Amino acid sequence: MSQSTYVPEEPLVKGNHTFASITSLIADIPEQPTPKWWYIAFGISNILLGVLLMSIGYLFWEGTGIWGITNPVGWGWAIINFVWWVGIGHAGTLISAILYLFRQGWRTAINRFAEAMTIFAVICALIFPGIHVGRIWLAYWMFPLPNGMQMWPNFNSPLLWDVFAVSTYFTVSLLFWFVGLVPDFATLRDRVKSKLAAKIYGFFALGWTGGNRQWQHYEKAYMLLAGLATPLVLSVHTIVSFDFAVSVIPGWHTTIFPPYFVAGAIFSGFAMVMTLMLIARKLYKLEDIMTLDHIEKVNMVILVTGNMVGFAYIMEFFIAWYSGVTYEKAAFINRAMGPYAWAYWTMFLCNVISPQFFWSKKMRRSITASFILSIVVNIGMWFERFVITVTSLAQDFLPSSWGYYSPTKWDMLTYLGTFGLFFTFFLLFLRFLPMVAIAEVKMVMPQADPHHTDAHKGDH
Amino acid sequence: MSTTPNTYWRSLNELARNDEYRQLVEREFPENASELTDGYSRRNFLQIMGASIALAGFTACRKPMQKIVPYTRMPENVVHGNPLHYATAMPFMGSVTGLVVTTHEGRPTKVEGNELHPDSLGGTHILHQASTLDLYDPDRSRGIRQGDEARTADDFAAFCASTFTRDKRVAFLSEASSSQTLNRLKRQIAGRFAASTWVTYEPFGEENVLLGTAMAFGAKRRPIHHYDKAAVIASFGDDFLAAGPDSVRAAKQLAKSRKVMSTEDGMNRLYVVESNYTLTGTNADHRIRVKESEIAQALFALAAALGADGFGGHTNAFTGNGDIARLAADLRGANGAALVTAGADQPPAVHAAVAAVNAALSAVGATVTYAALPFADAADQNAAFRALTADLAAGRYDALVMLGTNPVFTATGDVDFKAALSAVPAVVHLASHIDETSAALPSNGWHVPRAHYLEMWGDGLSFTGAASVIQPMIQPLFGAWSEIEVLSTILTGSRTGGHDLVKQTWTGSDWNRILHDGLQAGTSFPAATVRLTGAAAIRAAAEALPTVSGLEVAFKADPKLIDGRTANNGWLQELPDTITKITWDNVALMSPTTAAGYGVEFPRASILRAPADEEPMVAVNVNGKTLELAIWVVPGHADNAITVYTGYGRTHAGRVGNGIGVDVNPARTSSSPLFASATATRIRRTYPIASTQDHHSMEGRPLIREASLSGYREKPDFAAKMVKVPGPIDEAGQPISLFDEQTFPDHEPQWGMTIDLNACTGCGVCTIACQAENNIPVIGKKEVKRGREMHWIRVDRYFSGDVNGNPQVVHQPIPCMNCELAPCEQVCPVAATTHSDDGLNQMTYNRCIGTRYCANNCPFKVRRFNFFNYPKTWLIEGNDPEVVQMAMNPDVTVRFRGVMEKCTYCVQRLNRAKIETKRATGDSRKPADGTVKTACQQACPSDAIYFGDISDTESVVTRTKRNERNYLLLEELNIRPRTSYLAKLRNPNDATA
Amino acid sequence: MSSTYAVLAEFKNPGELMKAAETVRKAGYTKWDVHSPFPIHGMDDAMGLKPSKLGWLVFGHAVLGFTGAVTLLTWASSIAYPINISGKPFANFPAFVPIIFELTVLLSAFGAVFGMFFLNNMPRHHNPLFNSETIRRATDDGFFVVIESTDTLYHETKTAELLRSAGATLIEPISA
Repeated sequence: MSQSTYVPEEPLVKGNHTFASITSLIADIPEQPTPKWWYIAFGISNILLGVLLMSIGYLFWEGTGIWGITNPVGWGWAIINFVWWVGIGHAGTLISAILYLFRQGWRTAINRFAEAMTIFAVICALIFPGIHVGRIWLAYWMFPLPNGMQMWPNFNSPLLWDVFAVSTYFTVSLLFWFVGLVPDFATLRDRVKSKLAAKIYGFFALGWTGGNRQWQHYEKAYMLLAGLATPLVLSVHTIVSFDFAVSVIPGWHTTIFPPYFVAGAIFSGFAMVMTLMLIARKLYKLEDIMTLDHIEKVNMVILVTGNMVGFAYIMEFFIAWYSGVTYEKAAFINRAMGPYAWAYWTMFLCNVISPQFFWSKKMRRSITASFILSIVVNIGMWFERFVITVTSLAQDFLPSSWGYYSPTKWDMLTYLGTFGLFFTFFLLFLRFLPMVAIAEVKMVMPQADPHHTDAHKGDH
Repeated sequence: MSTTPNTYWRSLNELARNDEYRQLVEREFPENASELTDGYSRRNFLQIMGASIALAGFTACRKPMQKIVPYTRMPENVVHGNPLHYATAMPFMGSVTGLVVTTHEGRPTKVEGNELHPDSLGGTHILHQASTLDLYDPDRSRGIRQGDEARTADDFAAFCASTFTRDKRVAFLSEASSSQTLNRLKRQIAGRFAASTWVTYEPFGEENVLLGTAMAFGAKRRPIHHYDKAAVIASFGDDFLAAGPDSVRAAKQLAKSRKVMSTEDGMNRLYVVESNYTLTGTNADHRIRVKESEIAQALFALAAALGADGFGGHTNAFTGNGDIARLAADLRGANGAALVTAGADQPPAVHAAVAAVNAALSAVGATVTYAALPFADAADQNAAFRALTADLAAGRYDALVMLGTNPVFTATGDVDFKAALSAVPAVVHLASHIDETSAALPSNGWHVPRAHYLEMWGDGLSFTGAASVIQPMIQPLFGAWSEIEVLSTILTGSRTGGHDLVKQTWTGSDWNRILHDGLQAGTSFPAATVRLTGAAAIRAAAEALPTVSGLEVAFKADPKLIDGRTANNGWLQELPDTITKITWDNVALMSPTTAAGYGVEFPRASILRAPADEEPMVAVNVNGKTLELAIWVVPGHADNAITVYTGYGRTHAGRVGNGIGVDVNPARTSSSPLFASATATRIRRTYPIASTQDHHSMEGRPLIREASLSGYREKPDFAAKMVKVPGPIDEAGQPISLFDEQTFPDHEPQWGMTIDLNACTGCGVCTIACQAENNIPVIGKKEVKRGREMHWIRVDRYFSGDVNGNPQVVHQPIPCMNCELAPCEQVCPVAATTHSDDGLNQMTYNRCIGTRYCANNCPFKVRRFNFFNYPKTWLIEGNDPEVVQMAMNPDVTVRFRGVMEKCTYCVQRLNRAKIETKRATGDSRKPADGTVKTACQQACPSDAIYFGDISDTESVVTRTKRNERNYLLLEELNIRPRTSYLAKLRNPNDATA
Repeated sequence: MSSTYAVLAEFKNPGELMKAAETVRKAGYTKWDVHSPFPIHGMDDAMGLKPSKLGWLVFGHAVLGFTGAVTLLTWASSIAYPINISGKPFANFPAFVPIIFELTVLLSAFGAVFGMFFLNNMPRHHNPLFNSETIRRATDDGFFVVIESTDTLYHETKTAELLRSAGATLIEPISA
């Protein structure tokens, strides 16, 4: 009845910030002079981007033969990278959507750039299905477009499901991200000195006034989007996993793949969020918004999903043994002890062993540990895709056609190049867009509660 | 046409090699050297053929001028798009085999066996199938040259007129030839010159066999084996199934008694005594592995055991050997239906002994008959060749005429033919390429381009004596000459066309009938009556044979390249060896135990280990020469022995064959060309080998299902019962699936195939036939090494049993299975691979975007992907690609980069047959059973492939599918393959077991 | 008169703003709005706004996406160009599920976003509100009530008075 009974929860924003200080903390970044490190980082990213374009150009000129792919291993790094990037692209929308529905206030600190990361990761991913085909210039045949041949795509093909799943996911994530940005664009519109900048931000703000009649529909829309994105984000990697699960190849033909892929995606996605978050909060002094509590929460998610993935690894072996199918058994003996055992155990170490450190609170709250492990996890997740894609194909049914896959320099350069693309986008984002959802952060500040002030005045 | 000749299809990236080669070309083909003799300059020759990939438009100028008769009842005038079929015959090592050649608008594109011909009976071997590519080899010599100067036909005629005068001493060196016309001219030559000698030089010919029979019977006789009449066959180092003059007939006859279709059927029993694992060895019911030098000893021990004339009381290391004893018992038990053979490369004494043994088994007249060869020279031609070389070197001849042959390359190390050449005032060499011998000619020596058999008139006798006329399918591409044309020019001083020369020989015969049928009906060698007279001589020769105690090296003719004559043929170079699956190289073959001595472990690859990128090497010191070769382990190879193949390491074969492998001829000696004592040491260097199958074991999987004859009789359906298909079975007897499958319309035939693993010898002719029929590109060693081989039908080879002891080998041809519930189709995002109404799993090339998902999801891994624009490098960019383009089958699309391809049961043949049937019958699209054949089926010499309409319950293929031996590969996946297999059987001697 | 578009009043904090909103509503104004840097819980009730219609828009789009997808897939693969693929039925519904799902979600998302823009009549780059410098702070830390001059109850002084009584810390007219 009195404020003595009123115990405000642990504030999500540390330090005693006002609305104005929050605004300036984030919205002034585009106004500040560009830091030197940014130019350096951007330069490097651009070089890598050049590498990407060059390797794609050569691929286009010569053919997929420049890669290590062969018979029987028809899919190599291209598909591995695709799955890896898509996986990373899961965290953003997951944080924005699912955590939003679960009313996890702490998401506001990281959702904006997690979403940005998602979009850029999915862009990197989308490159590969496009270029890995033999006749790149005809890749558009995968879309159901009316054409002279009167042909339609084959709707039975998991690869086609992929096309729909990933492009839908990309579109919805983009919309989600943009909707979230609109009020912040307005903030920038109303702050920046430069006329041109004001015009540009204003254009994207679409005339947002912050009127409650807008907020009413806006919140509804955001809630609905979250509701839609939640099943979507779970469906994407499920469908990606169908590429493998729907086939007949031992080691691919497995019902555990959908949940296992989704868990893996969240796992790697959160790891990437962690990596980027740690960099961003350091560079832009956002320790008050991206607090240790956030880091710990993200680490908890990594620990949980890591163990889910580990469970899946072990369950695969059990099923292989339990099924009694010769080929299935052989496939897993091959994984753990075969020519690619090194890849398998790298994966196992990175994905199953390393997250176990996060059982200790000290580790969960240690910046260094979080940073290192987040990178280790993503290495591990790349190897997971390598193990699944390559080992299963290299040794399947007929020993006569067994082979060994090894990548060429072009495989590696293309992969390296996608980092150039990713960081080029990401740096531009850091430089010109609010990397934290300003309005949403304000919303979770205690002052934002209309009754907060009364509580302080105590006239109840 | 690009100005820089590309590196052909050896390699896609080695463009560096171009300049070097261009110089070679410029030196060898001066501008005017490429003038065609038929009045078309090279330039408008190309215009006529068109620079694009379009394959038509050539007929106009290439149609033969003389009247030749089509094989089929088709009208003489060409209907565009409809191929014509002509009978002809391919000469090889002194025998011709009757063939039927498919020509499209005047371009021969494919050869098939001639069913009327006793030595073909419709079958072919790899060299027949690959011969079309030799015709269109752009590296062929383009014109007559003297030294480096181009000469015209008239120049050459003038030269002959002035040089070959009666007062001259002339030597002739020719390949073995049964050509009646050639031998007619040969006889004319005999008295023509002051002194003349004629030597037949055939490095791996039958001279030893003839010398052996001469030793035994007092005259050269050719043994003709009747494998179909033999219940027990014992081969002593005789790889009679490998491509050779008689191999098609042998395969046909052997397979006849191995097609066990019911438990009542019997089956012959094949013993093979050999060192290296050969094709014939893999088909043996019992294989006795001994060193090459011991084969003779094993034979003599057998001869003694059987009491053959001259071997009474003979003893050697194999006397009392259990295997030999049981073999002897088995042979004797066959009373008359037994046959013993020996490899043509074995010394004469061995063949003499074989004659004695066969006589002792009273096989003569039953399983073996002897023929007197009208064209055989009485003298020992091996000795004659050595003598000739010496005489030439000593300047005892004014002129040398070489009709074919490449002695500079093929002669053994102790015979310096190159040096001999320089001592001869006038030399004429007839050769298809500027080969080692033509390149070694003295500066005034003449090179005359040799005609391919598909572009020349000729004649000859088959191995069993059937007389054929060789009729050309096309005008000589590069103004080439045939042997008989050169000979007659030498005799008369002016050129007479081959047609007239042959016609003269055949005056009085039913010329048109012979051309039509491809042979003179009813001709064959009469069985010569033989009496074993040389018992003592045989015994003496036998006991004089050397043996090797320590490590020995055996020099064998390569099964694909023979003495190197086909080294420039990409199809053959890329055809995996039947045992090692190696392409584009020769290696040092040895047993696991021997290899272990050099620190090489076996197996090379297993489920737990990937093969090393490069192979270890040995330096083999033999006869004072050193051969550095990659070590390749062959389970079942005799221990303490190394086998190497000849025919590699050529320097003037052409862009395909140059520098492939190592030339082992220098290490051979004429005294013992087959084997020699040697020492070997492991060297540090390693060498990349492109093998298409790394794994030797089936990993215990039921892929090839095999039983002994007795086991089969107890449990005839053992194969089908080997795998339990899970889940309930629907009324159609198929495992149920989650959805209602599509059904196939009744008005369409339903194509299906059965492959009889018991008849299949594993020779690989199906692969080449498929390659020729379906325009499959050759991609070169580098790409094969990466596992990108393009063959639509491959022959899998697995070893079973004790790999360190005497393992068995099984072969399994794997084409596309055309699964009814094909896993490849459902995963294609653009529906580029779909199912047709007649049950084909078809590829739509122009819809394919190349995701390779279908190949990933194919359990048999039979889909092939164009990782690069393979055809480009040899169909568009070559220094005159139009020539190679002529070899293409216009009925089959040439696939572009980024497109998936695969076997579709030769859909072009099926649709042609359906259309013709529909035109004939009016409604039915179902061709009569047996009227449509796939390329692999038609080529198969042992008729191991059955194909037809499985909706017709009485068709042959349907009946084979009802056979108890029938089983489906990976049936448990419920993909319902249309291709099934008949399980393999062996007929071991229980006494041996 | 006509030169004034609306009157703007600033309030200290969300709580004050909420009270003001209730006052204005009770006074019976209709053409007015409150502006804040973030949505304020309970403000909809304070202003007496009816619940958003957006849900229905989205549902409509969802139905459109679903039926559209079903039609496209069945028509294309079993009517327009039926092909025997792996012996599966032409209309192979289990295989269609993923794409149907994706298209449904996609269309719904379009409905949600563009529906919201529509209801908020966005984009609208020329809003008289922007003539005021003060209101810019509505996207930072300002809390405003804006009553449009076109409201029937609007009166230059009375309205200002009402707002002041509601605790406005600043009152200024916005020119049209």
